Amino acid sequence: MKKGDKIVGLIIIILITISLLFLGIYRFINKGDKLIAKIIQDQEVIKVIDLDKVEEPKEWTIENEEGHHNTIRVEKGRIRFIEADCPDLVCVNSGWLSKPGDIAVCIPNKILIRIEGKDDEVDQISY
Amino acid sequence: MTNTKRIVLLSLLVGIALIIYVIEAQIPVIFPGVKLGLANIISLFTLLVLGWKESLIVVILRTVMGSIFGGSISAFLFSIVGGLLSNIVMILLYKFFRNYLGLSSISICGAIFHNIGQLLVAAFIIQDLRIYIYLPILLISGVITGYFVGISVGFIYKYFKNFPWIKDIQKGQN
Repeated sequence: MKKGDKIVGLIIIILITISLLFLGIYRFINKGDKLIAKIIQDQEVIKVIDLDKVEEPKEWTIENEEGHHNTIRVEKGRIRFIEADCPDLVCVNSGWLSKPGDIAVCIPNKILIRIEGKDDEVDQISY
Repeated sequence: MTNTKRIVLLSLLVGIALIIYVIEAQIPVIFPGVKLGLANIISLFTLLVLGWKESLIVVILRTVMGSIFGGSISAFLFSIVGGLLSNIVMILLYKFFRNYLGLSSISICGAIFHNIGQLLVAAFIIQDLRIYIYLPILLISGVITGYFVGISVGFIYKYFKNFPWIKDIQKGQN
């Protein structure tokens, strides 16, 4: 343990605390009693689903212009990527999203799913 | 003669880094985006033994060839930005603060900046800063993996620095 190690340790602890604080704020802002999943591809919202109103589990595949695909499964109260052809599979490993503020991304295919707690969309598609 | 030795050693290190990188890609991860960063052992070791230019060479060659062997363009963009950022931070810390910092601190900072760099690329690609909710877990995992990488490099360097041919190379450097 050298002198500078303590300073580095302190800076890192402060950084982690700040980032956790921001995470808390983020969760707080997104709080709400609804579960609205938004599927966003290339920065455009392509689908909005009210997860509380999903009765039957459903799966479908989204394809992008380059021919890559992601398969999404939705059940009552939760949504996830179940299959994709991206190399890292970060999206699939993110697992189920069931809380407002949850997010799963597939960077290679530029698709993300986000859950919001409030209903701010006027033109909504729902099942 | 020393020059040849340097080149041979450098090529060996690039080869080892590449192997570690490819094998590591097969290890399943607990949390999305979290990696062990074992290839960083080689970059840090190169920085100690050969110097900063060679360490940059190792990182660049490792990411370019690693992406050829089993990656995609976006994976390449991630690795190169993360790898370079982390390497530059480690080079600067080693150059200016090596008397005050242990190897683990240097590699922890490297790991953290690697993760920050990757998040920057991710945020840039999907144009959504909300991806930064991954930051806390990536910081914590960076501390853990960086610490072990630092310890490993400490062990390796302790034995290798007494090798005559490594001493030769280091003498030729100064």
